[in-house]
Amino acid sequence: MRLLVALFGTVLLLAGCGDVPEAEGDLEGLPWAAVETRAQGQTVNLMMWTGDPFINDYLRGYVAPTLLDRYGVTLNLSSGQGSQIVAMLMTEIEAGKGKSELDMMWINGETFYQLRQIDALYGPFTDRLPNAQYIDFGNPFIGIDFQQPVEGYEAPWGNVQLTVIYDTTRTPNPPRTREALAAWVEAHPGRFTFDNAFTGMSFLKSLLIDIAGGPGVLDGPYDADKYARYAPALWAYVNGIKKYFWKAGETYPNSVAQLHQMFAGGEVDFTMSNNDGEVDNKVLQGLFPPTARAYVLDSGTIQNSHYMGIVKTAPNKAGAMVAINFLISPEAQLRKLDPQVWGDGTVLAPDRLPPEWQAPFENLPTRRHAPKRSEIQDKALQELAPEYMIRLYEDFRTQVIEQR
Amino acid sequence: MKTSGRRSSSSGRAAPGNSLGRAGLVLFVLMALLPILFSLGYAAAYSTGTIGLLSDGFTWEHWAAVGRRGELWSSFGLSLYIAFVTVVLTVSLALVLALYLRRPLGYGALSYIIYFPLALPATVAAFLVFQLFSGAGYASRILIRLGLIDGIDQFPGLVHDAFGIGIILAHLGLAVPFFILLFVEIYNTEKVAALAQVAQTLGARRRDVLYRVTVPILLTRCFTNIILLFIAVLGSYEIPLLLGRQAPQMVSVLTMRKYAMFDIAQKPEAFIVALLYTVLVLVLILVAFRKGRTAYGA
Amino acid sequence: MEPRTGTFTRRRLRPAVAALVAALCLFPFLYLLILSLVQEWSFPDVLPEVLSLDLWARVLGGPTALGGSFLLSLAISVGVATASTGAGYVTGKYIAYHPRRQVLLFLAYVPFIMSPVILGTCLMYLYIKADLTGSVLGVMLAQTMFAYGFSIVFFSAFWNTELRALEDLVYTLGGSPYQAYRRVLLPMSKGMLLICFFQTFLISWFQYGLTILIGAGKVQTLPVKVYEYIGEANIYYAALASCLLVLPPALLLWANKRFVFKQV
Repeated sequence: MRLLVALFGTVLLLAGCGDVPEAEGDLEGLPWAAVETRAQGQTVNLMMWTGDPFINDYLRGYVAPTLLDRYGVTLNLSSGQGSQIVAMLMTEIEAGKGKSELDMMWINGETFYQLRQIDALYGPFTDRLPNAQYIDFGNPFIGIDFQQPVEGYEAPWGNVQLTVIYDTTRTPNPPRTREALAAWVEAHPGRFTFDNAFTGMSFLKSLLIDIAGGPGVLDGPYDADKYARYAPALWAYVNGIKKYFWKAGETYPNSVAQLHQMFAGGEVDFTMSNNDGEVDNKVLQGLFPPTARAYVLDSGTIQNSHYMGIVKTAPNKAGAMVAINFLISPEAQLRKLDPQVWGDGTVLAPDRLPPEWQAPFENLPTRRHAPKRSEIQDKALQELAPEYMIRLYEDFRTQVIEQR
Repeated sequence: MKTSGRRSSSSGRAAPGNSLGRAGLVLFVLMALLPILFSLGYAAAYSTGTIGLLSDGFTWEHWAAVGRRGELWSSFGLSLYIAFVTVVLTVSLALVLALYLRRPLGYGALSYIIYFPLALPATVAAFLVFQLFSGAGYASRILIRLGLIDGIDQFPGLVHDAFGIGIILAHLGLAVPFFILLFVEIYNTEKVAALAQVAQTLGARRRDVLYRVTVPILLTRCFTNIILLFIAVLGSYEIPLLLGRQAPQMVSVLTMRKYAMFDIAQKPEAFIVALLYTVLVLVLILVAFRKGRTAYGA
Repeated sequence: MEPRTGTFTRRRLRPAVAALVAALCLFPFLYLLILSLVQEWSFPDVLPEVLSLDLWARVLGGPTALGGSFLLSLAISVGVATASTGAGYVTGKYIAYHPRRQVLLFLAYVPFIMSPVILGTCLMYLYIKADLTGSVLGVMLAQTMFAYGFSIVFFSAFWNTELRALEDLVYTLGGSPYQAYRRVLLPMSKGMLLICFFQTFLISWFQYGLTILIGAGKVQTLPVKVYEYIGEANIYYAALASCLLVLPPALLLWANKRFVFKQV
């Protein structure tokens, strides 16, 4: 018995010697053609959120086959939320794993900040991608992620803005300002709420910016004084109308998915989404009624981009770079922009596009339920420093939920 | 017929097949126990900052932070309450149905159909409860159609409510069929029917037979499974995630929230909650073993 | 206990209750199936407005490669269930008859004392060191940890003095262990073995979090692929994914109904 235990322990120790990273060779000096050659035959593991059938279809049905045909790269999609990815990579680094199981991941929200904190990203690499020339990294909504400059460590993939979704038959005149919202909620008790997750907090963030006096006031690194000055007003506002919320503000849906379901079922009259094109998708899927529309508050809502990143210890970096280069190509971005496919905003700058692509981008099928991009661009707010999000999550719990 | 009684021939018995059992136990120790012990050590080290990517070295700071917040205790309280109510309701309901429907369950379509709910995972059960019992759910629609209520606001809050009714319902749907199966199987294995017959011949009334023979045998035999159910509900994750409130939260939801928090430097707090949860479960098991009877010659 | 020979209503009551219970057991599956076929169903209708097979065609015909992952998941779960049921059967017996039964039984609970959501990370560290991540073997090992613990707990309730006496009887009469099992013990344990096999199959089949962490995206079981749909806003996809998730166990049951279903 003891012998067996000793044996097992030895096996562990030996296995724990860490694996030798395969000498993939430095990609640094290689010209792009050489990268593409090296990528041939590689299998790239992409971990991402797979909860939307449209997005999955786009990747599995269009991107993956094209990558295989054109570049010989096999794209392997696996499911994992942002926090799971960070946890996995953290544990890999802690265990001294030389070759990661993942190659690239879809970075959404504050995941970039966390990944940079644990130094799990490979980069800078975006300047090596030929299609990156079409991206304007000077655009603050693209080149800056949560007030942190991207610096080539992640490649922009799509661009979205938070919108509020409503049903024109139930709510012919949705409130467009903070004050109007408060009045509406009071007049319609139990018909409004937001989720206790990223989308809901982004909504609160938008309100906070409005309370602080508008765009730009809270830009830059986290300022505890500014937060201490404006946050109480936000909580006062919320607590003031809380009793007219759904379930008297005692509980909130744990995910935006549930909020969507409640809106579709008629339990509440509003829902919201980080993706301005979401309402088109959901109507197409038959979830939302065809009379659903989306809009942005006059005081603006958060616009941000989502990105693709490469793991620092990825074994198939060449394949990953080729895949990402394709994802930011005009061809793939145009298809992604189509509301019937995904409806995700493009990160390509229209004035940088090659001439043959400019017309298709302009003449895209217009959105029917979501607001046009041009309409809401002037109401776009930049994402704040990540510490604001941390505080919002915590304080929402202590200042609102736990206050009886 | 002998019912119980410890056999004293257990020592030094070179029974054939014993070595297989012993090997099985060793295998279990290797593949399950050792990793768990390692995990406990890992969690303890992580919680005190000894290991961990963003740790600065040994510190009690995280423990202090968790102790300061009241959410931990209310979370444990809620979890214990829900586990207790679920177990009591499950065992009662399963007992009643297993005994009352013993014949249909033994011979007939029901013996086969009763297996089906086992094939439902927790997530699907939670999804179903939400779809059926939320404000705009199926039950609400039926009531509206029947004219018993006028609108959504009149439908009682069964999900996201303060008493965890939706959570309990989901767990019941999963556990009751399993325990019905278990009770029926044990009933047959222990030949309770014959025992009951004997008792009746000895003059016991029907009610006495029920409370003094049938129920004790069934509960004793299934006690280990009942403990497991309690622990499973205590550490349940997907169901309270979908159907529960934000404050207080059940233990696993709280743990996951701390684990996936934006500030990854606070990750140790998740390990602390997990370790305290382990202590709670260990205490519960010990108490149960002391007070209960774990079958065989008990 | 003999059924009461009661009044007319009493005799009718039992089958009615049985039918009700059966209906309740089957209702979730019917509801999920119908929901997965819905194209339009708005509040407050009790019946859906439009049904169609579009979603199923889209999912099954699309590039999701569900067939392969279905077979993989089936192989993994059947493997885990067989191994843990068999091992638990034997080990449960060993523990049940052992003088230090309480202590050993306590050990069987150990896989369940840690919060499952945290256990994943701790195990992941261990599995990385043992180079088991990203492999089917690693995933099966992790799942068996729980399945085995369960089957030990399950069977420890089953082995009793009578079964031991019967086994002893066989040996006294000159029989071999093989004969004891084949002719006496196994036939008597059939019901328990079946229940345990199903439960352990399901423990493995529904294992999501651990499979993602240890499998690291390389072991794509069917449940992992469809799980995320269930928590998302599209309830029709969620219903379809639920159907895909529960259909294989239900099919497994149906295929073996001869073992379960005893004719009168």
